[in-house]
Amino acid sequence: MKPIEKVVTAADLQMLPPISPAASKVLKLLDDPKADAVAIQRVIQYDPGLTANVLKAANSPYFGFRQETLSLRSAVVRLGSRWLHQVVVASFAKAAMEQDVPGYDLPAGELWRHAVGVSVASDRLVALLGVSVADEIFTAALLHDIGKIVLGQKVGSDVQRIEAATAAGVSFEAAERAVLGLDHAAAGACLLEAWALPQQLVDVVRWHHQPEDAERQSLVLDIVHLADVVCLMLGIGTGRDGLCYRPSTGAMKRLQLKVSDLEAVAAETPLGLEELLAGLNAA
Amino acid sequence: MTNTVIGVGGMAVGRVGDTLVTYALGSCLGLTLYDPETRVGGLLHALLPQSKINPEKARDNPAMFVNTGVPSLFLAVYELGGVKERLVVKAAGCGAPLGAGTMFNTGDRNYTVLKKILWKNNVLLDAEDVGGSKARTVTLDLTTGKVTISSGGERREL
Repeated sequence: MKPIEKVVTAADLQMLPPISPAASKVLKLLDDPKADAVAIQRVIQYDPGLTANVLKAANSPYFGFRQETLSLRSAVVRLGSRWLHQVVVASFAKAAMEQDVPGYDLPAGELWRHAVGVSVASDRLVALLGVSVADEIFTAALLHDIGKIVLGQKVGSDVQRIEAATAAGVSFEAAERAVLGLDHAAAGACLLEAWALPQQLVDVVRWHHQPEDAERQSLVLDIVHLADVVCLMLGIGTGRDGLCYRPSTGAMKRLQLKVSDLEAVAAETPLGLEELLAGLNAA
Repeated sequence: MTNTVIGVGGMAVGRVGDTLVTYALGSCLGLTLYDPETRVGGLLHALLPQSKINPEKARDNPAMFVNTGVPSLFLAVYELGGVKERLVVKAAGCGAPLGAGTMFNTGDRNYTVLKKILWKNNVLLDAEDVGGSKARTVTLDLTTGKVTISSGGERREL
C-alpha cells in the first residue's frame, strides 16, 4: 500500500479552498464550553465573508426568525451552536463541494446535496434517540465525503478497476484502498487534519464507513455512519459507488435502533434536505 | 412537450411528447406505466414499503410509500386515458447495500409489497431491473414507451 502522503499531496490540498483562520477558530470555540457568544462574535467580525454569511443566515426565513437582525452578536445568539456549525462549514466548503466530481459520476451539486442530506438524517437520528451529542456532529456530517473531491480528480481510468472489484462483492472504499492506496474517507481525514480541525471530527470522517475499526467508538461516528447509509439508500447524491458499502449492524445494535426507526428517519429526510439546502443557500 | 424530473418520493404522469426521469434509485422503487394506444403513462419514485410508518406523510404525499404510491400512479394514469389491460408495467431499483441482512433490506421489502399489490390486482410486470448495489436512473419516453436505465456510466433499454 502506498503511503498516504504520496497519494494526497500538498498540491491536492491547495486545489481545495483553504479554510479561513476565522472559520477554523469559530468551530473550535463552538465546542469549547467556556466560550460564549461574545468570544465567537469577536472572531467572526474580522472575517467579512463569514460575517455576511452569519448575518444572512440569521435573517433567513428557514431558521424561523421574524424580526430582522443587523447585529452580529444577536445573529450568533439567534443561530445558536447547531446552526452556526453548519453556516460556518458551508461558508468554506460549499463552493468546492458543489462542483461536479467526474471520477465518481457526481453531477454538480450532488456531493453537497449528499452532505446536507447526511446532516439532516443525523439530526433526525439524534432526535429519535433522544441523546445529547456535541453539535460538531453537523460539521462531521457535512464534511464526511470531502475526500471524494481529491480522489475524484485522481481516479481517472482506475475507476474501472475499482468497479471490477466492487462487482466481485468488495465494498467501494476497500476497492479504493486496493487500487489507489487509500480511500476517500482517509483522504478526507487528511484534509481535516490539514485544516487543523479537532481530532474527534477527523476520526468520524476517517472511519465513517468502518465504525468498528476506529480506535475509539463514538455515538457521533455511529450516527453519521447510519445517516450516510440512509442517504445512500435514498439515492441522495449517490454516484458511481452506488450502494456498494457495508452498513454496520454493530452501529444499529449499539444505538438500539430497529429497522422501523431507520425508515422513520428516511421518511423525514427528503423534505428536511430541501429545507436545509434552501436555508444554507440563503446564507 | 415537457421533461419532468421526479424527486425522491415523487410521481408524475404525462402524454406523448413528454419525458419522465428519476435519478439515482438506491433501495427506492421506480415504477413505470405506459399505455401504447393512448400513449400516456407515469413514473413513481417510492422510498419505503409501508405507509404505516408515517400515515400523516402518506396522506400529504402518497408517492412516498409503495403501498399508497402504486395505486395512486395507476389512478393518475387512468385519469389521463390509460386502460389497465393495455398498460406496460416496468420496475427498477429496490437495491441494497452489501451484506444488507434484515436490517438494511428496505429495497427487498419495497419489491415484495409491489409484487403483492400487482398480484392482487391481476397485473404482471413486463420487465424489471431490480436488486444489487448499483444506483439506477430511469427515463420513460412517452412518445415511444421506451424505458431506459442508466447505471454506472452504462445505458440500456428495459
